[in-house]
Amino acid sequence: MNRISKLSYLMAIYLFLYTPIFVLIAYSFNDSSYSLLWNGFTLHWYESLLQNIHLQVVALHSLIVGVLAATGATAIGTLAAVSLYRYKFFGKKLLHGLIFVLIISPDIVTGISLLILFSTLKIDLGFWTLLLSHITFCIPFVTVTIYSRLMGQDKNIFEAAKDLGATEGTIFVKILIPLLLPAILAGWLLSFTLSMDDVIISFFVTGPDFDVLPLKIFSMVRVGIKPEINALCSIMFGLTLAIVLTYQLLTWKKQR
Amino acid sequence: MIRDKIFRKFSIGTVWFWLALFALIPSFLLFITSLLVQGDTELVRLQLTLDNYLRLLNTHYLRVFLRSFMLASGCTLICLFLAYPFSYLVARSSNRHKGILLLFVIIPFWTSSLIRSYAIVAILKTHGLLNTLLLALGIIKQPLQLMYTHTATLIGLVYALLPLMILPLYTNIEKLDVRLIDAARDLGARKDQVFFKVILPLTLPGILAGCLLVFLPAMTIFYIPDLLGGAKTILIGNIIQNQFLAARDWPMGATISVALTLLIGILLFIYRQRIQYQEPSYESH
Amino acid sequence: MRKYLAWFICFLAVNSVLAEENVLNVYAWSGYLSENVIQQFEKETGIRINHSTYINNEILYAKLKANPYAGYDIAIPSTYFISRMIKQNLLQKIDKSKIKSLKNIDPNFLNKEYDVGNSYSVPYLWNATGIAINKKYHLIDSIKSWKDLWDSRYENQLLVLDDTRELFSVALMVLGFPVNDTNPDNIRKAFEKLKSLMSNIKLFNTDAQRSIYLDEDITLGMAWNGDIYLAQQENPNLHLIYPDEGFVISLDCLVIPKGALHVENAHRFINFILRPEIAKQVSLDSGFSTPNQAALKLLPESISTHPVLYPSARLMKKGKLQAEVGNTATVYEKYFEQLKLEN
Repeated sequence: MNRISKLSYLMAIYLFLYTPIFVLIAYSFNDSSYSLLWNGFTLHWYESLLQNIHLQVVALHSLIVGVLAATGATAIGTLAAVSLYRYKFFGKKLLHGLIFVLIISPDIVTGISLLILFSTLKIDLGFWTLLLSHITFCIPFVTVTIYSRLMGQDKNIFEAAKDLGATEGTIFVKILIPLLLPAILAGWLLSFTLSMDDVIISFFVTGPDFDVLPLKIFSMVRVGIKPEINALCSIMFGLTLAIVLTYQLLTWKKQR
Repeated sequence: MIRDKIFRKFSIGTVWFWLALFALIPSFLLFITSLLVQGDTELVRLQLTLDNYLRLLNTHYLRVFLRSFMLASGCTLICLFLAYPFSYLVARSSNRHKGILLLFVIIPFWTSSLIRSYAIVAILKTHGLLNTLLLALGIIKQPLQLMYTHTATLIGLVYALLPLMILPLYTNIEKLDVRLIDAARDLGARKDQVFFKVILPLTLPGILAGCLLVFLPAMTIFYIPDLLGGAKTILIGNIIQNQFLAARDWPMGATISVALTLLIGILLFIYRQRIQYQEPSYESH
Repeated sequence: MRKYLAWFICFLAVNSVLAEENVLNVYAWSGYLSENVIQQFEKETGIRINHSTYINNEILYAKLKANPYAGYDIAIPSTYFISRMIKQNLLQKIDKSKIKSLKNIDPNFLNKEYDVGNSYSVPYLWNATGIAINKKYHLIDSIKSWKDLWDSRYENQLLVLDDTRELFSVALMVLGFPVNDTNPDNIRKAFEKLKSLMSNIKLFNTDAQRSIYLDEDITLGMAWNGDIYLAQQENPNLHLIYPDEGFVISLDCLVIPKGALHVENAHRFINFILRPEIAKQVSLDSGFSTPNQAALKLLPESISTHPVLYPSARLMKKGKLQAEVGNTATVYEKYFEQLKLEN
């Protein structure tokens, strides 16, 4: 496998992943409200996006929930993966089962059952119910990712640490976290992605004063996705790219 | 020692508390609902019955399940074959590049999957980008009718679920000890032997995790088959959706969901037993 | 100067206290309530609107049923859902003494059996389902009735709405049965009729019909009149036919859910929407037809007499309003599932 074929394979996959994105960005300049065929260039949609405060607020809501939910889910998911791997405790198999149930449950089932839970506990729908729900459905993805990294891990390392006088807490912080860091980050990224994109669960558990972007997009399907949304997605994509590239440039500079 | 116990209790306790409240109780409610009957004015009538489960035992549901299973399996396998080489190459690249290569995989997925699906529609349409390109290059004479086919659905599914395969594979391959590969080569193993007897078994947990994270959502996703497949074939996700929304038969919806969970759970359990039987454990004793 | 500052601070304080109260939670189909109308309402009344959206009646119903106190003040369901929601105590009565201009609504849309006396609902927008046809590919005169769609030359060409009631209505109309039929035998016959249509159907879709017809992916099939009207603006080859057997009319109305938190504001909103110039704006922005006859007079003639949006009175007689079918809904759903399964 020489370098060229390796590089071409990577490029091919990236092309597959990015072509729809390029199409999406291109269509944000499309001079047509409802057609998916090219009709001419215009900046009109970016203008109307700048005036659409509601859409911007909604996008912000999604980002806030995404970051918080990803962080919460990663924290709990990591604890879960580690506990399941290292400790024996009552109900361990049940916990495994719950993680599994959470992944396989169709969104609509999770959404409605959480709604009923909140209704019974008389919790008002809104930001908090949304956040709690998002953390919940992201946890299993983090747990599975981290657990798979733990599997096959040499357990002697923990014995050795204990012999040297380390507490469980120290083992967690000084051994496990550095060991699992790629998986933890992967879990965070995964959770953020899932949260930013969730429609059905969000629909059921959010309240009237907290709308999120995927809901807005999903319901726009009914009357036609205006390229305004494409403009929003293009801007978000551009911003993310800018942040990532800046961060990378800074870390590369440091490594010099 | 006390500190240890506290840490342990805190760890397990937090996880248990959260999942008990937000996963166990709703699941329990769901299970109870599956034993109830559809009500006239209220959603359920408080009357226990196993009728719903008996209703499942007809070929109608079995066929839908099989169809969903085939689609999900196909999607999972394609994702696996595409993602494995990719994750391997990224994991083996220099530390400088690893992070950014991985981030670049994830970034597209922070745009709404629905919008990206519409972009795929724009590409595959009769007068869409792909056909325009192929016609202009003279590769085809008539536009390809790709929309509203199983192929389109598969493309859409693979596209939506690929990162769920890439990330677990990557985190698993990343910790592969290069020295094991070197050792195998030193012992005279050929390239394919190195792969099948060293690399593959060691990365199996990653493969399993990735397959799990792709297969399960693929079983219940509904909007991609609707959008790209033309909603002509009905899948488990659609059926459950219909039960809860259009038919307002929440007990039946709950039943199908519970049955699906149990069925997949059993399949996974059998699979894990066989894997553990065949593969020696790599955990040290 | 200090006096003004004091007044200003008082004003802010009072405003922030009242701010909680000066809100209206509106739950609507996207595209039904434009930014235009929202901003106008907010400017006039100082009430801030929280605009949330849902994708169809069924999902709205599921949410309100699971949690009637979800906090929405206004929702816009369709008629047959309204009658169900009334029966199941999910809505509260509209205080008629507060609603001044109900008379602006065309009497043909008032006082129907889904809500006799309009105690719970006020009509907002309506749409009709006809046959969309692209003149470039088909002769307009070749299609006159729903049953023409069964012709074998349309194999694998049609778009049908992915909605049980809409699709079954077509078969029911062809067989001469009422569209709100609750007779299981008739429904079964409709199912058999639809089975024979399956080979002509290329796809089921409700949401993206506008762009599908516009881009000519499909050149013949079911469609909502509002969607075709808007698509026509960009593709003049499109046309909508109101078939001989009749057509389904769905009427969407403003309702106040039981758990509404700002009932007073909800009434102000309803009054606002009933004003002719507002109803006209609502209709223009959404692209759908208004039941408000006072608004109709304000619309440009090219729109108010447009055959797609406002068919003649003679044609409207063939329109059939959707109504609730009670428990037979499950029967319809089972057949719909089976239709897709045996494909």
